[in-house]
Formats: sequence, structure tokens, C-alpha cells
Amino acid sequence: MVAKELTVVAGAPLLRVSGVSKSFSGAPVLDNVSFEVRSGEVVAIVGHNGSGKSTLVKILARIHSPDPGARIEVANERGELLPLRATHHRLHFIHQDLGLLPMLSTTENLDLGGSLGWRWVLPVRRNEEDRRAAESVARFGAAIDVRAPVGSLSPAERAIVAIARALGGWDRPGNVLVLDEPTTAFHREEVARLFEAIRRVVSAGAGVVFISHRLDEVRDIADRVIILRDGQKVADGAVSGFDDDRLIRAIVGGSVEARRPGPPQGEAGPALTVRGLRGQRLRSFDLQVRSGEIVGVTGVLGSGREELAGMLFGERPPLAGSIAVDGRPIRPGQPAAAIARGMAYVPADRLRLGALAAMSATENLTLASLGSLRRQLGRVDRRMERVEARRWSAAVGLHPPRPERRLSTFSGGNQQKIVLARWLRTDPRVLILDEPTQGVDVGAKATIHDLVAAQARSGTAVLVVSSDAKELASICHRVVVLDAGRAALELAGPDLTEAALVRETLTAGVAGGSR
Amino acid sequence: MSIDTPALPSSTTRPPAVAPTPSGWQRAGQAMSFRNASAVYLLVLLFAVFSIWEPSTFLTAQTWRLLLDNQAISAIAAVGLVLPLSAGVVDLAIGSEVGVGAILVAWLLAHARLPIPVAVVLCLLAGAAIGVTVTLLVVRARISSFIATLAMSSVLIALIDWISGSEQILDLGTHFQDLATGQLFGITYPVYLLAGLSLAVWWLLDRTALGRRVHATGGNLDAARLAGVRTSRIILFTTVGCGIIAALAGILASSQLATGDPTISTSYLLPAFAATFLGSTQFTGGRFNVGGTLIAVAVLAVGVEGLDLAGAPIWLPDLFDGVALLLAVGFTQAQRPPGARTAAIRRSLRLGRAAP
Repeated sequence: MVAKELTVVAGAPLLRVSGVSKSFSGAPVLDNVSFEVRSGEVVAIVGHNGSGKSTLVKILARIHSPDPGARIEVANERGELLPLRATHHRLHFIHQDLGLLPMLSTTENLDLGGSLGWRWVLPVRRNEEDRRAAESVARFGAAIDVRAPVGSLSPAERAIVAIARALGGWDRPGNVLVLDEPTTAFHREEVARLFEAIRRVVSAGAGVVFISHRLDEVRDIADRVIILRDGQKVADGAVSGFDDDRLIRAIVGGSVEARRPGPPQGEAGPALTVRGLRGQRLRSFDLQVRSGEIVGVTGVLGSGREELAGMLFGERPPLAGSIAVDGRPIRPGQPAAAIARGMAYVPADRLRLGALAAMSATENLTLASLGSLRRQLGRVDRRMERVEARRWSAAVGLHPPRPERRLSTFSGGNQQKIVLARWLRTDPRVLILDEPTQGVDVGAKATIHDLVAAQARSGTAVLVVSSDAKELASICHRVVVLDAGRAALELAGPDLTEAALVRETLTAGVAGGSR
Repeated sequence: MSIDTPALPSSTTRPPAVAPTPSGWQRAGQAMSFRNASAVYLLVLLFAVFSIWEPSTFLTAQTWRLLLDNQAISAIAAVGLVLPLSAGVVDLAIGSEVGVGAILVAWLLAHARLPIPVAVVLCLLAGAAIGVTVTLLVVRARISSFIATLAMSSVLIALIDWISGSEQILDLGTHFQDLATGQLFGITYPVYLLAGLSLAVWWLLDRTALGRRVHATGGNLDAARLAGVRTSRIILFTTVGCGIIAALAGILASSQLATGDPTISTSYLLPAFAATFLGSTQFTGGRFNVGGTLIAVAVLAVGVEGLDLAGAPIWLPDLFDGVALLLAVGFTQAQRPPGARTAAIRRSLRLGRAAP
């Protein structure tokens, strides 16, 4: 039965997107994007953070609705293109977190895919179910113990289980599978296994949309590449027609106005010294940041970039290594100790680690340094606190300027301004920022960059960990590129451009992955 | 420490608009709006209804003095419970903490024959020790407070039965009885104790830097820790505080009954939770607070008392308490954005997920 259905007319369009635009509160995120996905091809969509990739995926997944005038059509069982409303079940998504239940086995996870109908009353026929599960996973080239909990499988195996579930055991060919950055945190061999599975899906007549940051992977798996920049489609063509330089130029765009920071001021001695830092991914990382200097750190996902900032501040202790502020070592793994030495940290995961959503913006602002407001009997001087909150909300351009409101009522950008102001208020020696403008609107982004630059001018050593090359190129004095847990190289002065950063980050990732 | 404001960045698109700070009267007005203080209005309504319904009994000073005496002890337990709840620790052992205090003081007096002050101090220390244990379980062993205190309460009930041999402890001495039944200006001592404790806990939680950190810990533990709050110490402070206050409530309960009763634990659990959760919907928009808790105790007591005087059946008070708790918590949930609930469910599911 399966074999019969595998013969599908190659090249028939399965997904057609035309004129998709989307703006959030007036700011355009996607601008008139059109493309097609045909049966038997892998189409890669690449672009920067903020290029509109994720918004496009969310529109396809019907999480967002596009602005009027867009047409999204998906082929039905007979190959006719119909509006997404009627055919969304033919479009399957593998998101980064896969959506599997790690405590359940592969079989059980696969069973969750379909509805049981009246069979829910019957006892589960285990052997039969297991056999079917093993079969459907085997079609993607994986030999998995289908009784083991999914949490114990390797990342690629988990991704394959997710694909098997999405395609419903593969008795529905001609579907479109959308993989949204599935390979983050994969090892090289794992990527190869997943790609093998994708190739099998494609050769059966499905169409695949592959969203990725990694150019080497795109080159490896995709037939066609679509490049998004600032919400527009800027390139669409066979992968073979693009060399790395052309891809990078298309991703970055021509005009990058560099807003160089002035030369670092202040004493020559290092304010922050990191020696031999080791973590889950970081391996022997050294770094010095002088007072008044803004240093960037970047790298692909899995390079150790994500864990660096939190480790420096003591969110979790490093496995080895030392951290010192002004030459005095700080006890690892204790944020309070780091703060006492003049460190400040704006975490990447604002909702989980930065914001106290249920408290007012004022309370969020003053929490890190309540000492200056403390009066007799431990009383907080609330009048003084209100005055300060008003002053700071004016300084960071809080909108609406109502610091007495709950933090959760503010937009992401304004929440981030408050979290930043919390630390600027302590006048830190060392300011560590992890993805400071992630999920922040353009206006707030500029404000945050200006505030950080002003703080550096007053003598604070600033470390910016970011995956946003444009951001790093415009605010940093120098940028360290991480690769497989080590500092691979450093860019500074005229070499520090967005294009150079993108190139070095991606090629470093390739070199590290093939170890 | 410098608190200088940095110069306004040049590229900021918005002018530095500053809304006028609301005046004290405006803030008071907002605080007493129906949305913020519904229980106050409910209390007035209940009072009015029962005054009309049963004027001969409901409106006597005797009724009110009795009500105050009866409610003071469970109100003390509820005020104690506000502490750990504010720090995000759901202390389901509150009832048995009261029970341990009650039976321990009785045993120390009746069997160990200790002087009253020594027995009371030992009891309060035992309450503190229970608080330390709860913190160790929650912070060190990383057991969710819900499970840790549920198990803890079972252990404590076993302890109560072991101490008492499942029998009432009598013969506590007449002086001990004065503790809860002695009067000053016609009002018993526990009422003054309640007033003092309420004031102290209110001041700590709502006016001091320490209280700010307690609320931060309860609001988002990880974020609070990264803002420099020593969250383990904060949790220790709240559980020990609650343990001591609960033990005190237990001592007063034994004094009032002139008996060490091993079965009182359960009668303090639900009322304390009903009052604190109902109270959290008042005044501060979802934050646990002392004022709201006291109002809630009053609403529940007046409601039950009124129904009682009106000749309601014996099972009605329990129904009233339970329904009030459900309504109060349902009301708070409805005020939250719809995503918050599913996010909370997802978070708790993630607890069991294998680390990647």
C-alpha cells in the first residue's frame, strides 16, 4: 500500500505562498513575500534574526494571520491547490522543541498523533503497536528502541520520531514538512542522520521547508534557497548558484551603516578577568574586558555562547575556571556575591530570569539595590522610590511612563528597558548583557544600545553576548567569536563588520562541527 | 552608591513624558474600588443582611465578643501562613503545625510539669524547627513545597498521636488557661496578640526591603535570585516565621480548650487557606497580604455565624468555607491573562521532563 503511494508526480507544486505581508503595531515584519514549494524538493529559508523567518513560519502554522491580500495555498490529496484554511492538515511542523513527551515511549508518542475514535475503550495491543511504531520509524532510516522513553534518545532520533508522528506513519504522501531550525544543538553525525531521514521524506514526494541559521547545512540538504532580509525576499534560487560570499551578502545586505563607538576610555587595567572557564560546552575560555570597553561574544548555537553570560554572573556555577572583578576573584555560582563585587546581568530569557512580571515596574527597578532606599526599621522609603522610578522611566523612555504599573502590562521592549535600568541604577563595574535586544522593537533597541554605550563611557566594562551580528558590529569595540567552546578569533577595528561576523561565525561552526 | 540618571539618549524617539504621580487620595480611592476590595463590601452586605434577618441575636455585643474570641486563633494561623505563601511556599502543614504546638505544650505542662514560660518557649522553638525542616526539604532537597509540606503534615500528625497516645491531655493547670481566656477591657488576650502579629507581619511584608524580597522570591524565584535576592534565606525566614506563629496558635488553642486535643489539626488547615487565598484577591491584586487575610477571616466568620444564628444545618459552615475558597481562587485566576494558566500547567509538566 505504501509503495503504491510513493509514486508521486515529481515537481507538482505543494505549497504556494503569494503576497504575504505582516506588520505588528505598524512595524512591517514581512513585506510581500511569495514563494513555492514543489514535490520532491527541499527549500531552505535563511535570514538573520528579525528577518521575518519565524513570523513566516508562524503564519504558515496559523499562529499569526497575515495582513489582508495574502494567498497561501496547499495541495490537497488530488494535487489541487486550495486555501490553507481547508488544507492545513497537509502542512506539518517540526518546531525546535519537537513537542514530544519525553517520559513516554516512541510508540506512545506516535499514538498521540491520531485520534482513537471508539477504540479508546479497548486495551492497547502493545506488541502490535510497537511493531507498527518500529516500522514507521524505520522508514526514516532509524533503528530505535520504540519502548524506550523518548527522553533517552539522541537528538536526531527524537527529531525523527517527531517527523514520523507529523507524517502520520507516512501513509499521506505529498505533504509539506516544515522544519524550524531542527538542528540546533546537534552534533555533526546527528545532523547527517536527520538529513538522511529528510531525504527519504523528499524522495517519497513530499516537499520540505527547512529553516536554518547554518549555511553549511543549507548547502548540504537544500535544493533551493530563499533568503529573507528585513521582511523581504531578496534571493530565491538553486543552492548551486550561490557561493558562501553571495549567500552572506544577500543575508546581510549591502548598506550597513556602522555606528562605531568612540575609543574605550578609563584605566588600562582589566575590570573583568575570566580564566579557563569551562561548562557544558565552554572549554577553557579566557577573556579580559577593560573598564570603558564594550566587548562582544558570539558564536553559533551550541558553541558555548548561550551559557557564558549566566556562568559569569553565577546563575549556575562553572565546572572550572576563575572570574575576577578588578583583580579580586568572585565566588562562582552566587549572583549575590557577583553583585557585591559590582557585576550586573541582563539575562536573555527575560520572562523566566529577568522580569518579575507580577510586580510593578518600580519594584522591578529597585529590587537589585534597595539599600539606598532603606530607612530605620528596614522601611523602604516609598516616596523616594517613586521619585527615582519617575526619573529612571524618563531616562530610559519607558512607554507608557507609568512605573507604578505591573511589569507584565508593558511591551517586551519596555520590560527590557526596566530590567536594564535596574542594573544601570547600581552603577556597575561590569555589565553583562545576554541577547539584550532579543524580541525587542526597533525603537527600544536603539535606546538600549545608547544606554549601554553611555554606561561604558562612564567607565563600566561591558560584555555583550549576542547572536545578532548587526548589533555587535555597531556597538562593540571588539568581538570574540566562539567555536566549540573556545575563542576561535577576535575581530576589532576596521575588520569588525557585520559581514565579517556572519562569515566567521558560520565558518567557525563548520570547522567545529567536523571534529 | 551613585544613583545618577544617565543623560537622555539622543536617538530616543519618545519625549520623556512623565505621568503625574497619583496622589495619596487617588491611591486610596483605587485601593477601595470594588474590584480591589470586594470583600469589604461583601462584609458590609453580610452584616446588613443578618442584622435585618436576626437582629435580636446577631446585633448583640455578646455575639461579637464570642466571634472575636473564637476567630482570633485561626486568624493568627492564617496571618502566619501569609509569610510562606508570599515567598511561593505552599505550606499545607499549617494545620498540623498548629496541632503540634497544641499537643506539645499540653504534654510539657501535664507530663513534664514544666513551668508555663519554659513550656511556651520550647513549643515556639519546636515550631521554628518545623519551619527549618520545611525549608531544607524545599530548598536543599528541591521537593516542591506542595508535596514536601503534604508529607510533612502526615509526619507531624503521627508525631501528635505519638506524643498524646491519641488521647486528650487534661490537667494543664488553671494559670495556663488564663493565657487565652484572660481579658483586658473585655477582650481576650489572643485578640491583642492577633493585632500585634498582624501589624508586625504587615510591616515586614509590605513596608520593608525584606518584604519586597519575599514577594520577589514568590513572584519569580530565578529572577529574584539573579537580582541579588538570597532566596534560600528568604524562604527560611518565612517558613520559620510561620512555624513559630503556628505554634503560638496551637498554644492558645490548648489554653482556650484547657485541654491538649490531638484532633484539632484539620480544623485549622482549610480556614487558613481560605482566608489567605480569599485575602490575596483583596487590595493588592493577587499578592498575599495581611489586611486582605483579616478581612477574609471576618467575612467567613460573619457568614458562618449569621447562618448559624439563622438556624442553618450543621454542615453549612464547611460548605460555606469551601465554596468561598473556590470562588476566591477562581476570581483571581479569571483576572490573570489567559496564557498564564496554561503556562503554569506547562511549567509543572516540564518539571518531570528529562534534562536535555
